[in-house]
Amino acid sequence: MKRLLLALALLLPGLATAGTLQPLAAGDIAALLKPPAQGERIIALWALDCAYCEPDLRALARLQRAHPDRIQLVVVSTDSIERRAAVEARLRRMQMDGYPNRAYADATPERLNFLLDPDWGGETPRVLVIRADGSRLGISGELTPAQLRRLP
Amino acid sequence: MRRLLIVLLCLLAPALMAHEGMHMSAGPGLGASAAFDSHGRLYVVDAADGHVRLRHSDDDGRTLSAPVEVNTTAERIYDEGENRPKLAFGPHDEIYVSWSQPRTAPWTGFVRFARSLDGGEHFSAPLTVHHDRAEITHRFDALAVDGKGRIVIAWIDKRDVIAATAAGKPYLGAAVYYSWSDDGGASFVPERKLVDQSCECCRIALARTPDGQVAAFFRSIYGDNIRDHAYAVLRTDGQPSHAERATFSQWHIAGCPHHGPGLAIGNDGVRHAVWYEAKDKPSIHYGQLAPGHPPRHAQVLATAGASHADVAVHGNTVWVVWNQVDANGYRLMLRRSSDNGAHFDAAREIVRSAGAVGSPQLLEKQGRAFVAWNTAAGFRLIGPAR
Repeated sequence: MKRLLLALALLLPGLATAGTLQPLAAGDIAALLKPPAQGERIIALWALDCAYCEPDLRALARLQRAHPDRIQLVVVSTDSIERRAAVEARLRRMQMDGYPNRAYADATPERLNFLLDPDWGGETPRVLVIRADGSRLGISGELTPAQLRRLP
Repeated sequence: MRRLLIVLLCLLAPALMAHEGMHMSAGPGLGASAAFDSHGRLYVVDAADGHVRLRHSDDDGRTLSAPVEVNTTAERIYDEGENRPKLAFGPHDEIYVSWSQPRTAPWTGFVRFARSLDGGEHFSAPLTVHHDRAEITHRFDALAVDGKGRIVIAWIDKRDVIAATAAGKPYLGAAVYYSWSDDGGASFVPERKLVDQSCECCRIALARTPDGQVAAFFRSIYGDNIRDHAYAVLRTDGQPSHAERATFSQWHIAGCPHHGPGLAIGNDGVRHAVWYEAKDKPSIHYGQLAPGHPPRHAQVLATAGASHADVAVHGNTVWVVWNQVDANGYRLMLRRSSDNGAHFDAAREIVRSAGAVGSPQLLEKQGRAFVAWNTAAGFRLIGPAR
């Protein structure tokens, strides 16, 4: 029993929310968009077929590490969760696998785009910033240093 | 101890289940193209199981024939989003098909072509259109036939950005290259570059001008990632082609919108264009291109949730269709002008889909407009549009 417990305990760190790709379905979006208790939640939307996304995600990760107490970074792939293997491999390569990661789980991905932000046409990279006061900010395209500074 | 074990197992369960994966049906991509031949027979190409397949219909899409495989040897085929197999006819209803084939590395591809000279019963072995064989991006193919029967194919090509990057020089986006066939698709001439620093993943729209040339309208890059559109006649007489800026929406985005434009040219030479930008909010624009100058009669036809518009013209009637998404799924929308694009009727919903859809495509037959819409529930031809 003790050995089983130890084995399970060893498995746990890798299975916490961060580092495990979770599906994002229409029903999950309200919770994702709920304002955080403090600071900001930055939802970073990316796609496998987006060459601009990798440097953008790395920059957002640096920003999050500089403000760990106020920035919550959630990384969302607009590719289908059915492409889990490819998405997870890319996340590892980009060293983004330590963040909470989601991938679209809906037969109509453009509907999820619309539910996340009706003022977004699906262009990646895209960040959606949800602030504790309920305000939101959406920016498409790779962020400039000035845009990054204004996020937190 | 046992309680701790249960807690641990409860914590594990969702993660373990997540690793089981979702069992949603992946299904084929919904990239398809349709066209009427000179006798009014409808043809449709899409991809399934590594084959581009051709089907036809003699009752305007109500029933489709059994598919014919264009490529008998299976290969990978881009059939999603802005990539879809293409279809065009020669002067004697020769059937020409092109597609982009993914290579091993991400974003790479080869442009492929095959033809049928017997009404789609048999196809030639596919050939690779470009002479460059580097394992890089040559994809987002666009296909058209000019007034002299030449087959013109344009695509997005990354050889120049790769060379520039290797030399430490800045280069935004990718190039547009094109080639043509003077021998009915038996071979293609060495490709020419149309333009450098263009958008790297938006479909290219092609249309025939009244004098029989093929013109291209595509998302380019101006200055620091201003992703406006360019227009060019693709010269096949050995003279260089010149792309000119044709939209001035000033949308800055360091990213790829995966959202190319539409073009239809009237017999009067008016270049009816639709394009997408999201500088303030997602918008579908209509305008009549005046290359080098802002478009005439420019107007926004649709906003939030609207995407992937197409345009067609016959006489003074202009039709524009697009996908409109909301929390409930997709609606196929139409706006019509009866004064050659000066004004458009209010938007009308033609049909809905709760499931996934491809980009709509307007087809014209004897002055009437039909909309080809590939949906998860099957291919649909809707119309004639009123």
